[in-house]
Amino acid sequence: MNMGFPSRDFDAAVAAVCHGLASDEQTRSLNERLRASPAARDEYLLRVELHARLASDPKLFFSGSTESDDAEVTSLGSRSTGNIIPLLPRASNRRQAMTWAISFAACLLIFAAGGLNWFRHHSSRRPTSIAVAVLSYAVKAQWASAADARAVGGTLEPGWLRLKSGLVQVTFYSGARMAIEGPAQVQLISPGDAFCNSGRVVAEVPPQARGFSIGSPQMKVTDLGTEFGLNVNAAATAVHVFKGNVEYQVATAMNQSLKAGEASEVDQAGVTRLIPANPDAFANLFDLQSRWQAMLAQRYEDWRTANARRNQDPSLLARFDFEEPSASGWTLHNAATDGSSVPDGTIIGCQATEGRWPGKHALAFRSPSDRVRFTVPGEFRALTFSAWVNVQGLDRQFNSLFMCDGFDSGKIHWQVCNDGSLDLGVQGPRVHDVQIFMSPAVVGFNQFGQWLHLAAVVDGEHRQMVHYVNGVAVSRHKLTLPPPYRLGAGELGNWNPGNFANKPPFLIRHFSGAMDEFSIFSRALSDAEILKLYSEGKPEPDF
Amino acid sequence: MSLSSNSRPLSGDVAAAQQRFLALFLRSEREIFRYVVALVPSVIEAEEIVQQTAITLWEKFDTYDPAKPFTPWACRFALNKTRQWIQRRQRWQALLAEGLAEELARRREELRPEWERRFAHLEGCVAKLPEDERAVVAGYYYRRSKIEALAGETGRTVEATYKMLQRVRRVLKHCIENAEQMGEAT
Repeated sequence: MNMGFPSRDFDAAVAAVCHGLASDEQTRSLNERLRASPAARDEYLLRVELHARLASDPKLFFSGSTESDDAEVTSLGSRSTGNIIPLLPRASNRRQAMTWAISFAACLLIFAAGGLNWFRHHSSRRPTSIAVAVLSYAVKAQWASAADARAVGGTLEPGWLRLKSGLVQVTFYSGARMAIEGPAQVQLISPGDAFCNSGRVVAEVPPQARGFSIGSPQMKVTDLGTEFGLNVNAAATAVHVFKGNVEYQVATAMNQSLKAGEASEVDQAGVTRLIPANPDAFANLFDLQSRWQAMLAQRYEDWRTANARRNQDPSLLARFDFEEPSASGWTLHNAATDGSSVPDGTIIGCQATEGRWPGKHALAFRSPSDRVRFTVPGEFRALTFSAWVNVQGLDRQFNSLFMCDGFDSGKIHWQVCNDGSLDLGVQGPRVHDVQIFMSPAVVGFNQFGQWLHLAAVVDGEHRQMVHYVNGVAVSRHKLTLPPPYRLGAGELGNWNPGNFANKPPFLIRHFSGAMDEFSIFSRALSDAEILKLYSEGKPEPDF
Repeated sequence: MSLSSNSRPLSGDVAAAQQRFLALFLRSEREIFRYVVALVPSVIEAEEIVQQTAITLWEKFDTYDPAKPFTPWACRFALNKTRQWIQRRQRWQALLAEGLAEELARRREELRPEWERRFAHLEGCVAKLPEDERAVVAGYYYRRSKIEALAGETGRTVEATYKMLQRVRRVLKHCIENAEQMGEAT
């Protein structure tokens, strides 16, 4: 196993050695990684040190204890007449801990982390990539199973694509494009190589991808600068050439060539039959791009309808739908019907960009000065934040989504950490009363460049905080800091330290990516409501 | 573990030496333990190594130069004990093979001054943990409860309890780094 860094494998191996549970494979891989990477060594040492300190500093669990090291030595020194070298932790503290723990046990609350399955399937965060292609379009695509589902815009690693029905287009890193009509089973092998076990495909191969080849059970077709179709079923494979030339090979026979307008069908016995090319059989695949665009346009319309209704939600404090770029270019309209308490936002820097659908506006945050400022007056018992974002990278330690200025009592910070976890911080009445809620790592390389729906619910009534990604709860946390919560002046995509207690310089925390919808509700939305927000706003419809 | 198992009679001089030793050792014990954990991260095993080191230190205490700091002197013996421990255990051998043990020990010394500032925030960060998370961390690290017992107490699976510890450590690491960069955690 070649262990990456940072990676989930690395995290798991470090945790396993700390718990004394590492497998031989893990210790070997960790050794290799640590020897190869100074950064991994430093990170490893820091994590192990944290682990060691937790195990050797009883004071950590007695906040406010005034016990000094000297006092401890004196008291333990007096025990030396017993000739005992004390074990860690001290026996006296063990007893202290027991009574403390018993009273504590009564108020234990268990929150099961939800949606971890999503996390397992979607967040293998790799610093390296073995991807060979990207999924460019999908029209009414039904995948063979949930595990086979692929997202538009997502990278594709070598492996099988199993399509039950519908159309998809795969763009290989070589530049070759392959449209697939389900039912189909296609194996991606490399940027220049695929295998079609069944189904109908059309490949369009630009000059730089010349030599792109598709195998089938009956033959192997190698492109010589072309557009060709392949129809593979249990009985035969047919190759139809629409432009240019291809070479194909049946079993061990010599290469044969076909030119535009020609087709060849090979049955299981290897018998070859020349036939005229029939583009009509591949008609669906030729207009895939226009079908895709028509579908997006329809989707955008549907979203607009839902959006108009959504804007009337009386609990909506602010909603930036980025639909109407202002004439001046520097105000952002609050579309919430009842949102008169929240004036329009002010855009500082930022570039206009395309959102989830062609013609839909969004705002790109690129430079450290880019931000949108707005003010939400009032005090709230609960809040929900919802955003559609397209993350380009997590270059900084903190990548702001929405941050209140400064960090005064009741204020909230919502951001993405560079390890891909979502981070929501709530400040309490005293400076040390801070709660930081971190989700598992959910935004990784596989999510970059795709539209993601992120939501965070701060529920002061039920004292819980929940992080959501694409409509699914990824972590639930116990919120101990009581309402009211306040927002005041704050920023999308950046942070203004305001009158923050500490002195500059401050960490740069700007967001790198695009945002095309942002809402704040003055109540805790339910799981079902968050899921609805996601399904109404997702770029492609469900089938 | 008893020092009286040592064959030396407990004369007045020895009793005084023992007092001195204990005072020095207890002050350094945590640091020795952390030094060992950097190489053998299993807490139970590291404690055992520290215990064995303590016996050796007491045996060699007459070679200790009181003009020099105690901890580095003690850590040299701890490193030897750790090496012996590793040699008998394939798992740790694989982890620390090809000079990694020495490199980690060396690099740790370089990083320590920088860490002191960072770990000063740890107490505050532990205090900020939600109660259920703090209870599990205290149970595992302070009470030294078995994972199975902790899992039973909190109604989690053993696997989920390990995962929770891993996650809480990540939160704490994030918190101390954040606190250090910001002056205060946000």
